Amino acid sequence: MAREFFVAKMISRLSICLAALSSVLVFCWPLFLGRANANESQVAQTVFILLMPLLLILLLVEFATGEIGSKQLAILGVLIALNAVIRLLGAGTAGIETAFFLIIIGAYVFGSSFGFILGSGSLFVSALLSGGVGPWLPFQMMAAGLVGLGAGTLWRARGRLAQIAILIAYAIVAAFFYGALMTMWNWPFLAGLGTTLSFVPGASIVSNLQRFIQYEILTGGLLWDLGRAITTSALIALTAPALLTSLRRAANRAGIARRKGE
Amino acid sequence: MIKTKDLTLAYLDAESKLATENPVLSRVNVQLDAGEFVLVCGPTGSGKSSLLKALNGLVPHFTGGILTGELWLDGKDMTGSQPHDLAELVGYVNQQPEGSFVADTVIDEIAYGPEQLGIDPALIASRIDEVAERLGITNLLELPLASLSGGQQQRVAIAAALASGQKILLLDEPTSALDIVSAREVVALLRDLAHQHGMTVLLAEHRIGRVVGEVDSVLVVHGDGSVTKSAPSAAFNDDRFAPPIIELGLAMGWNPLPVAMKDAAALWAASPADFAPIVRDSKPGDVLLRATDLAVRYGATNAVLPTSLEIHSGEIVALMGENGSGKTSLLWALQGLGDVSGGVVEIKNHQSPSTWSDTKKLNNLARLAAINMVPQRAADLLFLNTVSEELAESDRFASVQEGTTGALLSAIAGRLNPSAHPRDLSAGQQLALVLAVQLAKGAQVLLLDEPTRGLDYSSKRKLAKQLQILREQGRGVLVASHDIEFVAMVADRVLVMQAGQIAESAPLEIALGCGAQLASQLAEISNAPQLITISQLVMR
Amino acid sequence: MGEKMHRLGFRRVFSASKIHTGSWWLLALCLAIASGLTRNAFVLLAVIAFALAVIKFCRENAPWSRSISFYLRLGAFVIAVRLVFRLVFNFAGSAPNDVLFTLPSVSLSLGLGNQVVLFGDVSASSMLAALIDGLRLSAIIIAIGLANSLANPRKLLKSTPSALYEIATALSVAINLAPQLIASLQRVRRARGLRGGSSGLGSLRGIVIPVLEDTIEQSLQLAASMDARGFGRKGERGRGEILSARLAGFSAVALSGIGVYLLLAVTGSSALALGLLVGALGLGAFTVKLSSLRKTRSKFRRELWLPANWVIVAISAAVLGCALTGRFA
Repeated sequence: MAREFFVAKMISRLSICLAALSSVLVFCWPLFLGRANANESQVAQTVFILLMPLLLILLLVEFATGEIGSKQLAILGVLIALNAVIRLLGAGTAGIETAFFLIIIGAYVFGSSFGFILGSGSLFVSALLSGGVGPWLPFQMMAAGLVGLGAGTLWRARGRLAQIAILIAYAIVAAFFYGALMTMWNWPFLAGLGTTLSFVPGASIVSNLQRFIQYEILTGGLLWDLGRAITTSALIALTAPALLTSLRRAANRAGIARRKGE
Repeated sequence: MIKTKDLTLAYLDAESKLATENPVLSRVNVQLDAGEFVLVCGPTGSGKSSLLKALNGLVPHFTGGILTGELWLDGKDMTGSQPHDLAELVGYVNQQPEGSFVADTVIDEIAYGPEQLGIDPALIASRIDEVAERLGITNLLELPLASLSGGQQQRVAIAAALASGQKILLLDEPTSALDIVSAREVVALLRDLAHQHGMTVLLAEHRIGRVVGEVDSVLVVHGDGSVTKSAPSAAFNDDRFAPPIIELGLAMGWNPLPVAMKDAAALWAASPADFAPIVRDSKPGDVLLRATDLAVRYGATNAVLPTSLEIHSGEIVALMGENGSGKTSLLWALQGLGDVSGGVVEIKNHQSPSTWSDTKKLNNLARLAAINMVPQRAADLLFLNTVSEELAESDRFASVQEGTTGALLSAIAGRLNPSAHPRDLSAGQQLALVLAVQLAKGAQVLLLDEPTRGLDYSSKRKLAKQLQILREQGRGVLVASHDIEFVAMVADRVLVMQAGQIAESAPLEIALGCGAQLASQLAEISNAPQLITISQLVMR
Repeated sequence: MGEKMHRLGFRRVFSASKIHTGSWWLLALCLAIASGLTRNAFVLLAVIAFALAVIKFCRENAPWSRSISFYLRLGAFVIAVRLVFRLVFNFAGSAPNDVLFTLPSVSLSLGLGNQVVLFGDVSASSMLAALIDGLRLSAIIIAIGLANSLANPRKLLKSTPSALYEIATALSVAINLAPQLIASLQRVRRARGLRGGSSGLGSLRGIVIPVLEDTIEQSLQLAASMDARGFGRKGERGRGEILSARLAGFSAVALSGIGVYLLLAVTGSSALALGLLVGALGLGAFTVKLSSLRKTRSKFRRELWLPANWVIVAISAAVLGCALTGRFA
């Protein structure tokens, strides 16, 4: 019995890795598109808009099958709500992104599966609250979910300071990672084909990557990412000492601390 | 219906991972019948909640700890069952109904439990009709939960706990957030459920003055692990949690103790005791704060109509009135952080006592140093990891000598463990900590909003002593409260708010005396003018 | 009079809440696919007009039904951005033969491969292409807007398959909790003033921590209340079932991965790639179905499937059929 569960678990791990990889491919399709035909790139774009929700649902099913008890569920619910509300309050000011610090710290305490659901759920609920549901939502949910997924695998160093340093470093990386993924998604959307910053279907990855970076710089995307990195890491520096204590206390009380090796 | 055998609960020590030496429950043997209405009482922290939760599996599965012994429910051995395995049998309702709702409308909330148990939809519909009728909420079924009053929400929570046909109902302080009228209605309803419908109802409460006359039996959780079951009149020999009616009976030496108001009134009428009028050691001093025509308006609603009042040095003023009468808005307006739509608040200058300054012209820091407040949820002000960090932060902020806040705290609450997490303190200790932090800023006028929420009788007595210390220091205190017995203990003067206005301003013995709308329990029993608290009794 | 009554009845049959949430999303997705695959401006305008007409005809007075102006503005914004992009970041390729006007061109180098040319010749055909492409994306946005304005988001959460039941519950708990949280954030923020101290981003700690502590406390109460009512019961599910659900999930993911690769790669037919992706979709649905088998819950007040839904399904199928067979091209 133990062996069969082990097999099921390995398959599930494999599916998660593969789905995460595929989703990154789906984000970055303009870089990899080998077909030079404009019509085919249009088909690809449409297909990918439909494919992202499928990958998202498959990942969520994988994580949900990992036994979400009532306590995890309730803590997830309140953290998602808190995050969505904080995100709404912070919205509107350029470069200020208040959603990520709680995702990262929450995932760090409760683990990867929790982190993925927390990340994607937060963006879903804040979109519902603010009416921002659109074709971009599954992409945002996936990107934020991946940020949470990653935060759950971070090394739990000895000592509070080291942990906070790790979290801040990760926050900076994650802010740019999320920014790059979302810019990658709006790149074909906003620039279209045929401008000097657009991707060229069928061109080499390197040349398209160069165009992408130019797009990031000239449209101010990088500044935006920088703002996100600064606010997220500042918020982590400020709140992590207390948040880590609060969340770990909650985890202990609910008996759901992150297990070793997760 | 319920039988326990040597039920013992011990929590694990954080460091050694072994069971602590003092178990919360120790060898509890009780037996409760179908149709029995049982009150569970005991001092705060004695384990009332733990006992209830042990009966439906939340202890130990949700709280940790080690539970040993046997639990028999409805004739079956249910030892060690998970809460969800007992769901058909035991319904559970906790303190804040709004925090335990899963759905958004009443009908969906009630249906939630039966859905989890896989009950057939047609049967669910008839169950909902049945419990809704029993609890008088049939006309609320389609409404959103957020639109209901506290009393209605509590009824919905009870309906939701019974919708799967449970035979046992556990309630953990269900009336603590309700006003007196709705609390009485809920208790009457529970009695009906037990007596008319044969359910076993266990009610844990600390506001027991008006409940104890309604129940069939009382389980006293003593705090040392022992639990005893007795008839209501024989349950109390411990004044840590005894309500005034019991205190009176103990003081008068009545035997058996009366638990219903009318029995006590008859006994008193037969042989009343002597009592002394309320004496005050010191006269109130100068006016410290005066508000003139202070008004608060939110949009189109007037929360506070133009109101004038004065607070003197060395007096404790109580601000009473129903929920929504404008007490909280008035306090925030007086402090200066709340909305003010008209009028002025002035405070006497510390340096030159004949001059006044308008609080609007002070900056936040100067105002906090003159007039400060403890809000309804004192814990809102606590955000650090340990008590000592909170104290240090307070000293730093108030720029006072290190240790000042700590000294204030030990003066009012004794010593607290400096490395404890503020959230692990009891409600009374949190309040004392916040009080100390706010006093460190040196304010002469202190405003408190509903400070007795969640405190048992002994903590209330402690708080009353703390406030009396402040009075002796010559500070002026304004306490908003709807806790009559607490006001009877501390206040010199009572202001009663009604619909945004101060409708009445009277000395304590008039405002809470017999015949008044806010009469204290003792005033009601004795019907003697001027008598409002036990401490006035002169025993032969 | 009679005609008016008739129209009212018709309207009631198709009012937003009478139609199944799933039908609205199906229609929205089919319209989005159709817009995504076409380059015909008339088809795009027809899709937008149809979506707006359906919203106007079917919507009821609900908070989510007012969001359509947001989608319209967003659609206009996308078109505008596309056109501005065309003007500013003009492509300095081979000289176009239908130049409308010429702006003074600037070229700058970021040290990354090609030079970036700003402004320059603006041709009619490139502007038209940008316009149509912008219109295409606006149509997709408005199609999603249709589902979002007509379908109650809560109902969508309620009709999720039971494999996602836990997550849907967490999300609906979060939605219920959000207004309470906003209230407690405001309460704590005001209380924070009483303690004194830093303002701005620094004060966030003093606000977030008390609110978080409160909400965690509340969440454990909520969990207790849910569990005490029976949440968390599991039906018996054999090891075989668990394993097969995992395998199905894996194959769906693998198929979609291969499909994505084939769709991107130069070699291989895109029909094969699309076939694989459709297979992945089917397997995905199968996985969800398999994972949903174990649950022992019942559903009180399941959303009704009224006959009017078939009309919506038929329209969706027709739109999808036309789009896939290239009739909209």
